[in-house]
Amino acid sequence: MSKIKIYWLCQIGGWSLFGFANIFTYYIQRNTLDHTDILGELLQIIFYIGSTHFLRHLIKKGNWVTISPLKLIPMALLADLVLGLANYLFLLALFFVFGALIPTVELKSINIFLGILGPTTMYFLWSLLYFSFHYFYQYNQSLKYEAVINEIELQHLKTQLNPHFIFNALNSIRGLVDENPAKSKSAITHLSNILRNSLLMDKKKFIDFEEEMAIVKDYLELESIRYEERLRVSYDISQQTKGIKVPPMMMQTLVENGIKHGISHLKEGGEIKIYAGINHNQLVINIRNSGQYVNGKKPEGGYGLINTQKRLELIYGNSAQMTIANESDKMVLTEIKIPIQVEKPPAQNLPKTG
Amino acid sequence: MKTLIVDDERLARKELNSILAEFTEIEVIGEAVNADDAYEKINQLNPDLIFLDIQMPGKTGFELLESLEKVPKVIFTTAYDQFALKAFDYNALDYLLKPIDSERLANAIAKLKEEKPGTINQEVQQPHKLMPSDQVFVKDGEKCWFVKLENIRLFESDGNYIKVYFETFRPMIHKSLNALDEKLDDRSFFRASRKHIINLGWVDTIEPWFNGGLMVQLKGGERVEVSRRQASRFKEKMSL
Repeated sequence: MSKIKIYWLCQIGGWSLFGFANIFTYYIQRNTLDHTDILGELLQIIFYIGSTHFLRHLIKKGNWVTISPLKLIPMALLADLVLGLANYLFLLALFFVFGALIPTVELKSINIFLGILGPTTMYFLWSLLYFSFHYFYQYNQSLKYEAVINEIELQHLKTQLNPHFIFNALNSIRGLVDENPAKSKSAITHLSNILRNSLLMDKKKFIDFEEEMAIVKDYLELESIRYEERLRVSYDISQQTKGIKVPPMMMQTLVENGIKHGISHLKEGGEIKIYAGINHNQLVINIRNSGQYVNGKKPEGGYGLINTQKRLELIYGNSAQMTIANESDKMVLTEIKIPIQVEKPPAQNLPKTG
Repeated sequence: MKTLIVDDERLARKELNSILAEFTEIEVIGEAVNADDAYEKINQLNPDLIFLDIQMPGKTGFELLESLEKVPKVIFTTAYDQFALKAFDYNALDYLLKPIDSERLANAIAKLKEEKPGTINQEVQQPHKLMPSDQVFVKDGEKCWFVKLENIRLFESDGNYIKVYFETFRPMIHKSLNALDEKLDDRSFFRASRKHIINLGWVDTIEPWFNGGLMVQLKGGERVEVSRRQASRFKEKMSL
């Protein structure tokens, strides 16, 4: 429903309800109703609708919603009072027209006071509702906006396969064709697995840990063909990790990082060791690679890590951690801890966006 | 053409070797597995051409070129570093994308052959001297050039650096003028003063200057003073 429809529905519905309640009260009090009561109430409601609509016009025109509450409250109160006074005068005029004006009663100061206070209160309640709705709506919009932004950012951070890797792999395979046809065939299969996964992953927020592991293994198989004896890989994967949901291509990115910034710079090559297990209800992934981590010194080295960190933050908030540090003077340890999710993860409950 | 293949991956070297087998004019005289290995083999085997991978463990292909005194013809081979090669906009430079397309390779080799003869081993070699037709690799910040020595008008020392004048460029290289002077062939290059080495081929006019010195104007417009001490030697050279 559009905002303007909601507005008119509330205006007419709300004030009509108020009018009916008034008439009902008269009837209870006096046990009788005549047509002037009903007509008077009707005119009263029309006046309320008209005057509040006028107030809305002022609010919109003066852009009151942008004014700080400290200034807005006295302004709104003053407007409510002026409208209350106008409403009172309108009522007096109405009584006069109907010939029901009894000056000695109506013009008593206590009655004037109550006569103005009543409608002013109504206007005050109206303003309260109007601004509350407005702020609530704005807040809701900003939440939605944030969700959209998060979604876009996540899409952006999802790592694309490194083209360098793809072409180097293809080149190695080409060199392998004559030398070892069987091995080159399996290399082509590994490469197609990776390409297929990276194309499909764009659409998924989470995959099973073992699927991610399969990608990592395909990836390392290919890199082993390229680096040959310069790359040594070992795995230590706990059976408990089965079925745990992880963001796709995240581990692959970190392993690739380890090769790109570690192994590939070492003339003698080095090791990649992957461990995954459960500890304190968290999935713990350790990726060790030969080399040395130089914090901040290599600007081109940071993107994979920074993106991964941002991704974790967007998906898990504070409940996931990533650290990277030199474990010894020959080994870098990258560690990720993420909360265990087997069922639907919370991030999927974010408002759906087209 | 004596050719050296520089790549850290065995399969990549093998692949290139097998493609190069079709080209009779290319004689692969060796393979190097990283920049240090390549540095040694280039100095030892003196290849006319190198196929050079950019990303290698230890030093990159660029760093290798920077460390070389005299740079052979270079064809870069890369999987995806064509962006890095943008730095060479100023030079006609060839690179091949891996996996290598043999037609593109044929073009690159043909282009090398087109270059004027005499570039390859035709001068009387003085051992360890740089010939005018030798090229050097100059890198200044983001830009790189392959420059033939005969195109360099002037070397000017500036602190720990040397300013190299050629075409409209004057990039700086990190070297000492004395070390360079020893390497340059003194038939073409002349130490005009403590601060300058000039290319005799680029001398335009010479006029007498104060204290028995000379003022030399180069064809690029630069004016260089030849000190009194060097003036007589200079006259001797120019009269030849």
